[in-house]
Amino acid sequence: MQRFNFPVVQPEPALEELRGELQAFLKEEREAGNFRPEPECWMASADPEFSQKMGKRGWIGLTWSSQYGGHDKSALERYIVTEETLRSGAPVGAHWIADRQHAPMLLAHGTEEQKLDILPRIAAGECYFAIGLSEPGAGSDLANVKTRAEKVADGWKINGQKIWSSGAHISHYMVALLRTSPADGRNRHVGLSQIMIDLSLPGVTIKPIVDLSGDAHFNEVYFEDVIVPDDCLLGEEGGGWKQVTGELAMERSGPERFLSSYITLETALWQLSGKMGSDSHARLGKLIANLRTLKGMSWGIANLLSQGVSPETEAALVKDLGNRLENDLTMQVRALLNDLPSEDWSPDMRRIMNIGVLRAPPNTLRGGTTEVMRGIIARQLGLR
Amino acid sequence: MMINTDGMVAETASKIYTDLCGREIPHKAEAGEYPQALWDALAENGLPLAWVGEANGGFGADYDETFGAIWASAQAASPVPFAETLIANWMLDRAGLAPADGSASFALSGHTPSADIPFGMHADKIVLFDEAHHEISLFDNRAAVRSPEQALSPDGMTQFIFSGHVVEQSAKTDLSRKAVEALILTVRAVQMAAAMEMALNLSIEYVSQREQFGRPLSKFQAIQHQLAVAASECAAATMAATQAASAIARHASDPEKAWHEAVIAKVQIGHSVEAVTVPFHQVHGAMGYTQEYDLHHYTRRLWAWRDALGNEHHWSKLLGEALAVTSPDQIWKGVTTGQWIAS
Repeated sequence: MQRFNFPVVQPEPALEELRGELQAFLKEEREAGNFRPEPECWMASADPEFSQKMGKRGWIGLTWSSQYGGHDKSALERYIVTEETLRSGAPVGAHWIADRQHAPMLLAHGTEEQKLDILPRIAAGECYFAIGLSEPGAGSDLANVKTRAEKVADGWKINGQKIWSSGAHISHYMVALLRTSPADGRNRHVGLSQIMIDLSLPGVTIKPIVDLSGDAHFNEVYFEDVIVPDDCLLGEEGGGWKQVTGELAMERSGPERFLSSYITLETALWQLSGKMGSDSHARLGKLIANLRTLKGMSWGIANLLSQGVSPETEAALVKDLGNRLENDLTMQVRALLNDLPSEDWSPDMRRIMNIGVLRAPPNTLRGGTTEVMRGIIARQLGLR
Repeated sequence: MMINTDGMVAETASKIYTDLCGREIPHKAEAGEYPQALWDALAENGLPLAWVGEANGGFGADYDETFGAIWASAQAASPVPFAETLIANWMLDRAGLAPADGSASFALSGHTPSADIPFGMHADKIVLFDEAHHEISLFDNRAAVRSPEQALSPDGMTQFIFSGHVVEQSAKTDLSRKAVEALILTVRAVQMAAAMEMALNLSIEYVSQREQFGRPLSKFQAIQHQLAVAASECAAATMAATQAASAIARHASDPEKAWHEAVIAKVQIGHSVEAVTVPFHQVHGAMGYTQEYDLHHYTRRLWAWRDALGNEHHWSKLLGEALAVTSPDQIWKGVTTGQWIAS
């Protein structure tokens, strides 16, 4: 018996047909100049118009019921869609988070009215969500959340501040982890709840944070006496910690944790065709072996998730290995490109490489830092 | 699938290793007390014939449950050439020859006239795959001139001089070199992943017991993070080995088609050996460097196996060369689906 649970599963032929459709669409869009490929596209490249095109083709909301505008498909089909869009560096950032985690959250905890209202709009690529976890004093120490929701007659009154909320400036809703009752002595995990906040409500202020590359997908979001109705509490009052940590396997094991920079390699490979030296062959061989192995691990988890198993430790392993790999990939491609005189680099190559270098630092921070992942793994090993 | 440790072949092997290869056995073997009883039990149960077809007196077991048996043997730091005999008999079977009488090891041409042979001092027979002549030959090793070299692994590496020896059996084969490489690299990958996991287990056990500065080593974050990183490499090694084993099982009639997945396992695991053996030895302190302690039964084999049939750098280059003549579309298809050859 092996210590970690990563089943090897062969993809069904039907999934490969879907892959072909995606490839044809993405090629056409790119060649028509409708997008310029970028690394880290799921986080930093948002284009509502592109999201709506994806929605029209039925590639958002694959996993939920058609009753709510979904497509009655499996999480594995969604996996193929995410994989292909990452490979193409397509601008999928607007809808990514809502499709990945907030729609499943609403399905599990939302009212019928919310599901009928919001889920079809997410599937159409028209409605976007931001994550509301981090605060100025709560990063890796997430339980240190200070933003409060107070019970009032007609719902909840919210005061406080969230930070690093990617895409909040174009999002319609945020699902925030809020303190709804005081911590129980040293147990800070009690009294936290997840609440959905309409970002157009009075009292919400969104301010951009410009990153070192000049992008502004991060935001600070301030809440001043914001009132949301009762049914915006998602799940149990006081059950927020358990709900948030329960979703992490899904969030941490997807292809965005190791393929975010693949577009850099892809672009280089087209240019390097027939021009690689023997050092480069060795680099390429190692890189592809690493990618294939990570794909196997991530796909194994996707299959477990589709069977209702949520392997938190395995997901942490994928995220730690995957984040290291995607940063290493960019460095390896820099080395590969030595086989090509720099005047022969296409303008696209230079642009993509530079974006890749500039967008590397958050890989090992977002969604749980490397140090947090290693803590989770160490706990499974029985070391803490 | 994972490495299948539930099948009959795997369970039988696992029981034999549990009963006859406890922690002291690899130590005794190294001191010169060869565990003949262990080999005899494996042979009596026909396990070295698992990959021999029924026509040749074997039982044509499924590949995947036999990989489970290899997993068990590597976790027990097997001092007998079980995996090597499986490979040697598989090669003989593919040439229509009867399995070796006794234990066996193997060599591939390209290294002749002398070759590095694992278990060269213990194996009764040597099977040679001669690519140029499409031939598989069986030599009697007991009559051979053998010179043991300073080896990395306790299994030993022997320079075997192929000159003037009597070939006991020989036949033409349609096996390609890539098919032979695919099987050998996959077996080694399974052994390496299994050995890594055992070395991880030993490290966890040790740091949980050993106290310094008034608390167990396991309570130091510096130790926790080193082992967490090593554990992720172990998990990746198991995945790479399982993917290769799965490819061999899928392509049982044409193992050459499993070549890419096998080479990927070799490259992935070979590169991670240093990333695991360094922290494993580090957290063990000087104790892990002693012959008395068990760790080296695994780490030395990892160092030997990563060199077997060429090291990870050699295979990274071969894989890269093979990929560079395809297209970025084909590479992507391979990464995402494991189909490396255009169909």
